[in-house]
Amino acid sequence: MFTVVLRSLLFVIVLFITTKLLGKKHISQLSLFEYIAGITLGDIAGEVILNSSLSVMHGILGIFVFAIISYLADVISLKSKTLRNVIEGTGTVLVEDGKLLEGNLKKEHYTIDDFSTLLRQKDVFSLAEIEYAVLEPKGMLSVLLKKENRPITPKDLNMKVPSEKAPQTIIMDGNIVYDSLTKAGKTPAWLRMELEKLDVTLDNVFLGQVDSYGELTIDIFDDKIKLAEAQERPLLLATIKKVQADLEMYSLQTDNKEAKLMYRKNAEKMEQVKNKVKLYLGENF
Amino acid sequence: MTVASNVKQTLASLKGIESQLSAFALHSMEEEAQKAFHEAMVLVGEIKNDIQLRVYQLEREEKEYSSS
Repeated sequence: MFTVVLRSLLFVIVLFITTKLLGKKHISQLSLFEYIAGITLGDIAGEVILNSSLSVMHGILGIFVFAIISYLADVISLKSKTLRNVIEGTGTVLVEDGKLLEGNLKKEHYTIDDFSTLLRQKDVFSLAEIEYAVLEPKGMLSVLLKKENRPITPKDLNMKVPSEKAPQTIIMDGNIVYDSLTKAGKTPAWLRMELEKLDVTLDNVFLGQVDSYGELTIDIFDDKIKLAEAQERPLLLATIKKVQADLEMYSLQTDNKEAKLMYRKNAEKMEQVKNKVKLYLGENF
Repeated sequence: MTVASNVKQTLASLKGIESQLSAFALHSMEEEAQKAFHEAMVLVGEIKNDIQLRVYQLEREEKEYSSS
């Protein structure tokens, strides 16, 4: 029994090292080869662990042979397109121009039911919605919907949206993450000031993120306390709108011709200001 | 509320907007956003100057009115 424990530990380490060496591609099992290697490696390890009559060295040797062949297949398929097609396989087009290609379906031994199951997993229930579909080497189905069935994007609506950088996590478990803080272009002094504004201490903050506008969002350990959300940007837009309305009102109210003109001009300028920044202040229309 | 005090309030709002815009211009990570905030800030600064002049004018007129 003791040998089983020992062998298990040994093979966990061996498998860990081989998978690490083979990389992420191996874990996702995208190609035929990685699929075969994946099954066999596990099987060899399992056999050798439980069957004490088998030699550990032979097991490890088998694993390494498979790992090396798999690695070589990777290297070869990087170099040559023809060999890549043989080793990794190619996708099979199942739907083109909205028409189901029965011949290809048969070639892959897929029935209509199999095909519809794969489609439903992609949230597609009707053949009429599809423009193009490919069966990937690993058996997944990739579907391109017809234009009118695709989800709408800001581009479809001719909407201009500001590009945003990923938010940086600058506080974790009550500790400042200095790397991210520098990446966000902020200093610890700035952070202390922002926390003081929110009336919390650093120790109470479980998670703190800063977005590309330099606004801080935090989550504190005590879930009962309600924190004000970042309101600065919508508030600024509201003030800009109010001032613009005020200026237009003054231009109507005053009898002084010169002042009327000045108010008018500045109300227009304020409109320009609004149009310049509204995109970044959370208004898209 | 006199006209002057109303306009003064607007002037204060303008100052607030200007400072907020300048803060956003400094803290934004996107170059485009920085530029937009900065340009807006300059425009608001111009408006602010015009309104400031108007406030002086109104104050003077109101003083004349109350003293006469």
